Amino acid sequence: MGTQSLSARASQGQSGRRFWSRYGVSYSFILPAVVLYIVFVLYPFAQSFYISLTDWNGFDPVMNFIGLDNYLKLLQDPLFWTAFSHNIIWIIVGSIGAIGLGLFLAILVSSRPPGFLIFRTVYFMPQVLGPAIVGVIWLLIYAPRRGFLYKVGEATGLDFLQRSLLANPQTSLLGILFASIWASIGFFFVIFLAGLQNVDRDLLDAARVDGANSWQQFWNVTVPQLSHVITMVIALGMIGSLKVFDIVWTMTQGGPANSSEVLGTLAYQESFNHTHHGYGSAIVMVTSALAVLMSVVFIRLRERRGD
Amino acid sequence: MTTSQDAAGVKRVTSSITRIKRRSLSYWGAQIARYTILLLFLAIFLVPITWIFSLAVKTQAEFANNPLGLPQEPQWGNFMQAWDQGRFSVYLPNTIIYAVAVVIGVAIFACMAGYALAKTRFPGRNVIFSGFMIGMTLPFLSIMIPIFYLARDLGILGTRWGFIIPAVALGLPFSIFLMRAFFMGIPDELGDAARVDGCTEWGVFYRVMLPLAWPGLATLAVFEFLGTWSAYLMPLILTQREELRPVALALPLFQGRYRADLPLIAAASMITITPPLLIYLVLQRRFIEGVTAGALK
Repeated sequence: MGTQSLSARASQGQSGRRFWSRYGVSYSFILPAVVLYIVFVLYPFAQSFYISLTDWNGFDPVMNFIGLDNYLKLLQDPLFWTAFSHNIIWIIVGSIGAIGLGLFLAILVSSRPPGFLIFRTVYFMPQVLGPAIVGVIWLLIYAPRRGFLYKVGEATGLDFLQRSLLANPQTSLLGILFASIWASIGFFFVIFLAGLQNVDRDLLDAARVDGANSWQQFWNVTVPQLSHVITMVIALGMIGSLKVFDIVWTMTQGGPANSSEVLGTLAYQESFNHTHHGYGSAIVMVTSALAVLMSVVFIRLRERRGD
Repeated sequence: MTTSQDAAGVKRVTSSITRIKRRSLSYWGAQIARYTILLLFLAIFLVPITWIFSLAVKTQAEFANNPLGLPQEPQWGNFMQAWDQGRFSVYLPNTIIYAVAVVIGVAIFACMAGYALAKTRFPGRNVIFSGFMIGMTLPFLSIMIPIFYLARDLGILGTRWGFIIPAVALGLPFSIFLMRAFFMGIPDELGDAARVDGCTEWGVFYRVMLPLAWPGLATLAVFEFLGTWSAYLMPLILTQREELRPVALALPLFQGRYRADLPLIAAASMITITPPLLIYLVLQRRFIEGVTAGALK
């Protein structure tokens, strides 16, 4: 160690060579990924932030710097708040619904009863399709007067199935949320399955011997051991709900009359349909800031718990 | 040997019989309730897909008369019609090219970076790793405008590279995270032993570590393949020419155009989802591993 620092002081060139021979391999391994990531992710992100401070429309050569005007405009734009409230509804109904059902189903099969593989394969399947395709499939199911739900309603005499959820501004968001929950239950289901494998069976047995009923066993023994997984899954659900775009865009494009608009679709419309690049960028910056904030809070929560 | 096996079998059967006898009514009640719920959800996930498949092989007339039942005479020709009208002979090869190229690109860069982060020490290592982890949270939405102009300025927007290169870059955070976790699970002693035997650093990576990280690489490949297959917003921004579209982008546009012809849309949907579903059915363990690793590690 001593000789090393001596020689480092002795000759700058020699220390450079030494540095290179010591770390060169590491840097050459990581450099391609770092360059690609900086050029195509971090640099565009920084540009997005810059664009959000301008009034750029995409084709003008001039980009006027207008400071925080876009953000101030955002705060006064009722459409922004509408879209934002839909993301909040997405978090509450969409992710909590899917998380709850995923946990429920995971508990039902956690002892790997006969048929386990079939259940897991099928429950998780919609994840493979991707949200855009799920949107296409559910458009067929919801199709007015000819879709699956309408026909089932016709066959069974259930009126409420024959209402066109997506065409009605009162229910369009709910219609998309059903499709989204259908698609994302499997995601939370497999994560909870993995988490449940680490739950101590002996503790459950001990609780049973002590006379705890199923609900008490679940609430007092399983949930505390799953708390780490539950926090993380809620964080993932919230971040996912903020980022949502594909399924809304393929199903309603945010309509009718902005009734299913979310921040993602609003940013897309503003950026490309109205060529308000600056304003659209401000919206995605708010989304990103909230997403990063949530993951930081979540990491802190996890660290505080000490695992 | 057979007799001892038989004896063991008999023992197992009798013990399970006594167990069944011993089990109370409430146990069987709980089992029935459990399976009722599990089968109900099985139906919730399977019925829509089954309905769309049966819809895909009906004529418009049969669909009008028999919207819910199974088709009387399956019209396999619907698939040919959807294939031609939906230009799947263009979009499907595009999708395969994209998915394979992204898998290869991500695998190469993420393996090397993941290895360096897991198995070597160098100044800036933690900063670089944290930098990549931020990328797991950032939505593609947040870079969609600049990346469009960047691809245009680099002259790759009108080519397949215009989608592939950004997709590889965006796939890196998760993949590096995954590969780093896998390399960390391989004992350092294996690399040291190879070094003593005169292996170069590259040799340690390529001949010793990489073969052992094979399961991680397989998970990564399946995950990235299926992810690229179903990507929507990225190709919406980055494949500006019609003949460059992948299926996940083409299908919603197809649906918009043939809105009235439900069987045709259903047939096009089946063409789009069958390849990833088959891959999933064969390699589901890998895919599920990728998903849970991303969330739990």
